[in-house]
Amino acid sequence: MPTFTYMTRCDGCGECVDICPSDIMHIDPVYRRSYNVEPNFCWECYSCVKACPQQAIDVRGFADFAPLGHSVRVLREEATGTIAWKIRYRDGRVKEFSFPIRTTPWDSIKSPLDYAAPDAGALNSQLLAHEPTVLKVAALPTLPPFAPLQE
Amino acid sequence: MGLFSSRKTHYVDTDILVIGGGFGGSGATYEARYWGRDLKVTLVEKANIERSGAVAHGLSAINCYMGMRWGENRPEDFVRYARGDLMGLVREDLIFDIARHVDGTVHLFEEWGLPIMTNPETGHYLREGKWQVMIHGESYKPIIAEAARKSASEVHNRIMVTHLLMDKTRPNRIAGAVGFNVRDGSFCVFRAKAVIVAAGGASHIFKPRSIGEGAGRTWYAPWSSASAYGLVLRTGARMIQMENRIVLARFKDGYGPVGAWFLLLGAKDSNAYGDDYVAARFEEVKALVGKYAETKPLPTCLRNHAMLQEIKAGKGPIYMQTQPVLDSREKEAIGWEDFLDMTVGQAVVWASQNIDPREKASELITSEPYVMGSHATCSGAWASGPEDCAPADYQWGYNRMTTVEGLFGAGDTIGGSAHKFSSGSFTEGRIAGKAAVRYVMDLAGDTPQVDEAQIAQLQQEIFQPLENYRAGRHEIVAGSVAPSYISPLHGLQRLEKIMDEYVGGISTFYVTSEPMLNRGLELLTMLKEDLAHIGAEDIHQLQRAWELHHRVWTSEAVLRHTLYRQETRWPGYYYRGDFPQLDDSQWHTFTASRYDAATGEWHLDKLPVHHIIS
Amino acid sequence: MFTTNPFTPLAAFISPALMQGYILLMIAAVAAGTAFDLLHDNKARFFLQDRQRSRALAVRQLHAPDIAAIAIRTAVHDVATFGEFCNQQRRISHALMFYGFVLYVITTLVMVFAFPAAAHTPAALPLLWNLGILLTLIGGYWFFFLLRVNVVHDGHSPWRLVRADLFIVALLGSVSFALLYGLVAATENGTAIKVVAGIYIGFTTLLCVSVPWSKFAHMFYKPVAAFQRRIEEADGSSDLPAPTAKRSERCPHSHT
Repeated sequence: MPTFTYMTRCDGCGECVDICPSDIMHIDPVYRRSYNVEPNFCWECYSCVKACPQQAIDVRGFADFAPLGHSVRVLREEATGTIAWKIRYRDGRVKEFSFPIRTTPWDSIKSPLDYAAPDAGALNSQLLAHEPTVLKVAALPTLPPFAPLQE
Repeated sequence: MGLFSSRKTHYVDTDILVIGGGFGGSGATYEARYWGRDLKVTLVEKANIERSGAVAHGLSAINCYMGMRWGENRPEDFVRYARGDLMGLVREDLIFDIARHVDGTVHLFEEWGLPIMTNPETGHYLREGKWQVMIHGESYKPIIAEAARKSASEVHNRIMVTHLLMDKTRPNRIAGAVGFNVRDGSFCVFRAKAVIVAAGGASHIFKPRSIGEGAGRTWYAPWSSASAYGLVLRTGARMIQMENRIVLARFKDGYGPVGAWFLLLGAKDSNAYGDDYVAARFEEVKALVGKYAETKPLPTCLRNHAMLQEIKAGKGPIYMQTQPVLDSREKEAIGWEDFLDMTVGQAVVWASQNIDPREKASELITSEPYVMGSHATCSGAWASGPEDCAPADYQWGYNRMTTVEGLFGAGDTIGGSAHKFSSGSFTEGRIAGKAAVRYVMDLAGDTPQVDEAQIAQLQQEIFQPLENYRAGRHEIVAGSVAPSYISPLHGLQRLEKIMDEYVGGISTFYVTSEPMLNRGLELLTMLKEDLAHIGAEDIHQLQRAWELHHRVWTSEAVLRHTLYRQETRWPGYYYRGDFPQLDDSQWHTFTASRYDAATGEWHLDKLPVHHIIS
Repeated sequence: MFTTNPFTPLAAFISPALMQGYILLMIAAVAAGTAFDLLHDNKARFFLQDRQRSRALAVRQLHAPDIAAIAIRTAVHDVATFGEFCNQQRRISHALMFYGFVLYVITTLVMVFAFPAAAHTPAALPLLWNLGILLTLIGGYWFFFLLRVNVVHDGHSPWRLVRADLFIVALLGSVSFALLYGLVAATENGTAIKVVAGIYIGFTTLLCVSVPWSKFAHMFYKPVAAFQRRIEEADGSSDLPAPTAKRSERCPHSHT
């Protein structure tokens, strides 16, 4: 179901152009607003839909198999860490859902440099960063050396 | 107009170049920063790492988590499971290596803010199945991308890497990469001591089931343009199991996931008459693959096989009986979230076709084939394994290094390490990131040197499609048909038709044979020659042109490997019509290829499968 | 020179009646252009039908006081302060262009209609006229070179002009030559005055008659769309989920 942009809502900010993983949201030369230039490379990942500050982008199911008259719209709210969906069926029924998206504030992840530097021996060991602590077991599992069966 | 004279060139010098900002690349960047505190780590991505790669939408489950802290699983058991699913042919050392580290990755994700569902009774992560846990994963990628941004020295978004560069002072050693900026069209040269390729596997090499707008709704992202293989194999690195394409049984048209439905909600699938066709066809499957049919759980390809046989017998459509399992509001929310977190398109199918899963069943179908390394499949580069437990012939100094010095891989790039999924790919990235740091430190002053003449040649080649279009336009009035060039889409459609008709796509019910493969190779060879005549109208089309290049090269590898393996190892993924049986006596082995750039020849041979776990 | 009526030297060879008639003609051109844009291809009909469809889906009934309150909020937040923009640079540049242009147009009208050939025009008028021009030019050139989305996000050279640029180019041309005309008008050079005035009038005419093909009319449509959007959120007919965050917290993180 590829994306399309509502004429009355888009103000030409370019967030969708910047976020699209497929590089298919571009700027129309007549209105300077966004549009989907290659619907056959649209995965309907909704990245642009979620990124649009004006909720100007929506999806119309792929014409190959989706009858008209439906809508699946979303509001992703970073401030509250939630995402809300409103689904309108072709036959008119409506379903709404809301789910969490993150448990920590945005931009709160620590850089690896914020941790103490690993000691010299660890570079040549099998331990990855923060191990074994982050595994929450006593030690990193290993296997005895492999001796191939003699045939 | 001076096409090249006005084009800027940007040089980037770095210690570790990570190509691909998905889960594998993000893991590599994080770990490389941790161990290489003073090293420069450059991440380059053709899109925007915030939402790039296969996890753009999000995911509803983490499919690789042991739960060692709660005694839920052991890594050895995970190896047995993945080996069983791949009909015996996996790199057990690589899988063990990922399985023993992956719990730490998942705990990091939780610390970073990924909401993981918990089981209210036990307080443990809510299991979807034995190896899978449920997550509220809509922002999975943005969270991981934040970690990558905090770790990288610099992140270059919107730069497509087209070729890797080899060291001119020493054979078989990596020196960097080249590509172009997808926005301003500038030429980019990266000079690096180590390169980690964590780019995408291959979607769109076989003709998809939906061919109009719907071609966008492939199961695996349409931007997975096989760059993992297209970049790596041309350096002469050894590749394995490229014939091991994967076919998925998923919700029809939208390709929505089935894991939560089968495992967590306990839904059943059936033929059009409500029958359990898998059980009914068990003996038939056993006749085909012998003892492998008794593997529990039943391997993915064999479940596909049963479904295909049922469909061919006219007993379709195949349905997922969703109705009985959605008997509470909570379960309904789980069912919907499963799609909304990772395949919104399937929710759109429901809304557009008036399917309320509480009232109506949904069709399932087998997809077109894909080639990748992180799912229930393991095509990719032959890589060195963990030093403490890999057999001697499976390791050569640096974990996840390919057979080219300094060239590492993670995620879909690496062959043999099946069932990684998101957490495993990130973990493999971490493994490669650490190893690359060690490699760079061991290099000391011995810095690889790029070949300026080769770079100039590549610059010409990279922008040639723009030139082809501009010049070729003069011959015609207007339109898309010109005698001297084809568009990237034309080339892609021809590739998909060749692969579909000759290499085991949906139109032959995944069957191929030596005569078909040979004919396919003839046509593929001509398409490869036509790559010099792609006409790109603008920079966006230039990106499509290079995605096509990577896809065509990968398809050749897939075809040659398929020709080489004279058996049907994974019925339900594909069949050799001329060798319909599984043959452990000859083919309990990896198929391996090496492309020789100097001669243009492919060398195919076998590599042993060691079972290091009983 | 910034305190004298710039139109007075022009009155030497264009009668005030002609100047006033020209301005009325340009206003008519903008109105006619907007009307044409709305009516051709059934555009107005489409949006009216769309509005009816949306009202049919309303879940809550809105009464006159609710609607009035929404209209005021639209005027204050969306129109007057350009509050819909999440990108602050774009917001400020649009505010500069808008208020600058409005100030320039109003002072032009006052000077041409009330003081066309007057010996003495209150200094505030030309001062505000020039201020309006400066604000428009600052906002406009900033927008043209540094903020246009096709340049900043889609890799275009700022010199690559497309149809969407018709409005901004005509506006910048008109207002730039207004400034230049104001400077030249203070000199005694009759030829220079005529030439610059000619170009000024040329761009102004282009700006006003190109409304059916340019983004000019969007200045009028945007407030209507903003109002409509608030109505749909209030009466429940919107097919978007209801927001929970305050309006001020709704801008998503930018990843550009």
